[in-house]
Amino acid sequence: MTRALITGNAAAAWGGRLARMDYVPAFPITPQTEIIETIAKWTERGDIATRMVMYESEHSMITGAGAAAATGVRVFTATSSQGLLYGMEMLYTVAGWRAPFVLVNVSRGLASPITLEPDHNDIMAARDSGFLQIHCATCQEVVDSVLMAYRLGEDHRVRLPVIVNLDGFYLSFTREAVDLPSADAAAEFLPAFDPQGTEFRAGKPVSQAVAVLGGGTYSYFRYEQHLAAQAALPVYDEVAAEFNDRFGRLHPAIESYRAEDAEMVFVMMGSFATKAKDAVDRLREAGIAAGLLRPRLFRPFPRDAFRSALVGKKGVAVIDQNLSMGMGGVLHSELASALYGAPDAPRALTSFVGGLGGRDIAPAEFYEMAHATLRAAETGETPPPRLMYTHSELREMRKLQAAAHVERHEQDIA
Amino acid sequence: MYRIRFHGRGGQGMKTASRVLGSAFFHEGFEVQDAPRYGAERRGAPMNAYVRADRAPIYERGIILRPDLVIVADDTLVPIPAAGVLQGLDNRSVLLIDSATPEDEWRKRTNIGGPILVLPLPDTVDRSSLAMIGIACAGAAARLIGVISEDALEQAVRDELAPLGEAVVEKNIQAAMAGYAAMSDHAGTVSEGVPAAASGAGSPDWVDVPVEEVRLSGPAIHAGATSVEVRTGLWRTFRPVIHYDRCNHCNWVCSSFCPDNAISVAEDGRPVIDYDHCKGCMICVVQCPPHAIESVLEVEAAAAERRGSA
Amino acid sequence: MTDVHFQRMKDLPSTHLLGAGTAMCAGCGGLEMIKEVYDVLGENTVFVNAAGCMTLLSVYPFTPFRGSWLYTAMASSPAGAQGVRDALDILKANGRMTEEEDLEVVVLSGDGSASGMGLSATSGAIDRGLDFIYLCYDNEGYGNTGQQTSPESPHGARTATDAVGPGNIGYKKDLFSIWVANKPAYAATVVGAEPLDLARKIEKAHELEGPRLILSLAPCPTGWGYDPAHTVEIGRLAVKTGVWPLKEYVDGKVVHTRHPGKRTPVEAYLETQDRFRHLFEPVRNDKVIAEIQARVDAYWAEVDVDDGTKA
Repeated sequence: MTRALITGNAAAAWGGRLARMDYVPAFPITPQTEIIETIAKWTERGDIATRMVMYESEHSMITGAGAAAATGVRVFTATSSQGLLYGMEMLYTVAGWRAPFVLVNVSRGLASPITLEPDHNDIMAARDSGFLQIHCATCQEVVDSVLMAYRLGEDHRVRLPVIVNLDGFYLSFTREAVDLPSADAAAEFLPAFDPQGTEFRAGKPVSQAVAVLGGGTYSYFRYEQHLAAQAALPVYDEVAAEFNDRFGRLHPAIESYRAEDAEMVFVMMGSFATKAKDAVDRLREAGIAAGLLRPRLFRPFPRDAFRSALVGKKGVAVIDQNLSMGMGGVLHSELASALYGAPDAPRALTSFVGGLGGRDIAPAEFYEMAHATLRAAETGETPPPRLMYTHSELREMRKLQAAAHVERHEQDIA
Repeated sequence: MYRIRFHGRGGQGMKTASRVLGSAFFHEGFEVQDAPRYGAERRGAPMNAYVRADRAPIYERGIILRPDLVIVADDTLVPIPAAGVLQGLDNRSVLLIDSATPEDEWRKRTNIGGPILVLPLPDTVDRSSLAMIGIACAGAAARLIGVISEDALEQAVRDELAPLGEAVVEKNIQAAMAGYAAMSDHAGTVSEGVPAAASGAGSPDWVDVPVEEVRLSGPAIHAGATSVEVRTGLWRTFRPVIHYDRCNHCNWVCSSFCPDNAISVAEDGRPVIDYDHCKGCMICVVQCPPHAIESVLEVEAAAAERRGSA
Repeated sequence: MTDVHFQRMKDLPSTHLLGAGTAMCAGCGGLEMIKEVYDVLGENTVFVNAAGCMTLLSVYPFTPFRGSWLYTAMASSPAGAQGVRDALDILKANGRMTEEEDLEVVVLSGDGSASGMGLSATSGAIDRGLDFIYLCYDNEGYGNTGQQTSPESPHGARTATDAVGPGNIGYKKDLFSIWVANKPAYAATVVGAEPLDLARKIEKAHELEGPRLILSLAPCPTGWGYDPAHTVEIGRLAVKTGVWPLKEYVDGKVVHTRHPGKRTPVEAYLETQDRFRHLFEPVRNDKVIAEIQARVDAYWAEVDVDDGTKA
């Protein structure tokens, strides 16, 4: 094991390296590009026996990734934002091939308007694709999660591709101290990829991903994918436990921070959740029993774990770094669905949307969310979903609008 | 509600026939649903189309499981289970077949309890045109149902076929009216079915789908050439027949050009047609250098085969 | 390169590999071509399919292939071929697979994918020098959805989206030249109606490495409107009239493998098909027929009648 100060992107590349990735189909996109540049440098220098191939689009890249996995090699690839969406048809398609590989997504807001800064709308768009999803909050988690993702996806009970998600800028370009497992320890944790006889070879005909006719046949195959994704829940727990045994780091499906005895709990995903930890500590000092639950596993959704962690709480504040137009935060909806009908469910389940396009979430905002949620639990009246946005931000917006000459003319107002 | 199912083959005009009947109902003031039902198969493959008509709004959708009237434009489909011609027929459902085989024979062959009618068509209907048979079937259906006037039927034919020109429209109106007239003794034989009661419907027999290993549960085929289990020979309405006295054992022409690999060459150099798979495209008939392959109407060839084996 | 095995018609196989029982239309020119190609390539192949008519070759649980198959999507079958090829090479290189287990990787694509949506992925595969065969069945329209106008629909042809007016006002895209401009290992045009020419080209392609195009005209009774019995006749007429030149690009040169000295007028080809019927009925459209003829003439004016090379 070595301890190094590396970026989230480098950690992702190290995850693939320690997993002994055979093949890396690649395409550049900010803020992911550093991952493939790192791997390219390693392959050029001969540090690793990996073949990296530049594709001409993410749609092709994901096709090639699935096809290579279906042929029996261990595949690593990475993208972000618009790239993930450009490949969206193939995300759904290759998941159905049941050929596991790991795709790192570096989260970034989606057009329009086009931006480089992070939020989770890209990864939320992949929610129903059949890929499993692991969300990271630190650079350490990135390298660990890539290794765990291979074990999870390649397990014979699962056999699905996995997305490991990290936030653009806040993790991708941010250096943190990371313990890198030794190659030998990683190899002991993650054995060689076994394609289990579904791969293409002369003399062993396989017609893969063929068309089906009729809803009965289609329903079977689609539901089997769902069952495989659900089977990943207990498999994930096994993998996390073994990882902890070997490396001394436990990455549970849901990270719980001071939540057990909390009255109010923040629920959020990704790197901003560490800000919530800070807020929890300050709130505790102020006499408010706050806590945090951070799902690392988003698909499969750890429904039962959420239920048992949240029953008996007064209030839960869900912070979504995404926005489903016409509905609101995606995680809030999913959590509401998970908690509905649970005996002794939290009295208040509030919804906050923040961090869009990399917008910061201030400590005072965490405190206000905690207070508002506890008030809602007291009064029984849950406030409507709230976008975190300040008067000063709106004033700044007005200045920009003026510079863009969008001010209304007198005659328009009349 | 009236529930009517048309059975034919891709390319035989069943969609048009169902639309003509649907439009005729519409002109009589009914609420209507009509739709064709296709699989992946193409021209020649069994297909069906359906019509629902009611005075009240129609809430049912999709295939008709309990038909009041089933119309078969191609009688070779009746014995093919995959065509589903006899599916859901009960003692009050009417079966109308365009066939040279008499009604008693069909009763023996199908073993169904409801009325069976064979459509007698006058010589004025061009029987070589499959589309014309479809239109005649639509006319016959209109009369059997008994609530559709000749005017509504005529207007329906015009609605559906106007883009093809007046001459085609007139010919089709004649065919529709011939079918209509042929069923005059049976006007109103078809009655409206009643909806099945909710009570006593039985269990849907749901099952918890088991989690299965990927070799089973992925959409993959783990063997080669399994397609030979699909009997595409059922698509055929004409069959190529080799006259071996004229075959010069050229070895390759018919077999090479057959798109479906339905002609193999035996060890003695004789080409052999695989009628289980031949779709009846007749490329071999056109290409055979000594013109040793003849196109024969499938029903006649099948009858000759039966005589041969009897 | 070894000697060509297919010298005479008698050299063509009398037994065929592709399984019967597929869902293609009766008289499908594309299926006829694939059957002929498969006899030469053999079962040690993996077909990587783009969405199109041939998607329905393999419908669970039935496949006509004795080797392997992977369905991808409409836009990215060459990328699927890239992934399979690279994986096979990796496995061979590190001893996890034997040479005997290797497969020829073949993209199977219609013209809509080949010349439209999938062109970007093809471009990428050529850039990377991918070792694969790109097999295109060109039925000159989006056939599987009912023959709408595609990048390969010929000028004047009526399609489901050019159904009532003058037919397609665009011109057929020259996919062969797009490939040739990028110096592939091999490129050839074929048609199922000329099986000997086809077999020679497939054999040649099979023995080469790198990006290889086999572009086949695929007469389509359903989409073009003719009796399925005439698929071979129409394929031959396309060659005789010069509408579909049979040629290959090898060693840096385009050579015509048939160069009809006396070409049949194009109308002999056009009048066989309902999609061109409006050029003849109710009144003959001499202007468009002459334009189609002139374009064919202009093409052949650049072909050397002695050695079949193109200027």
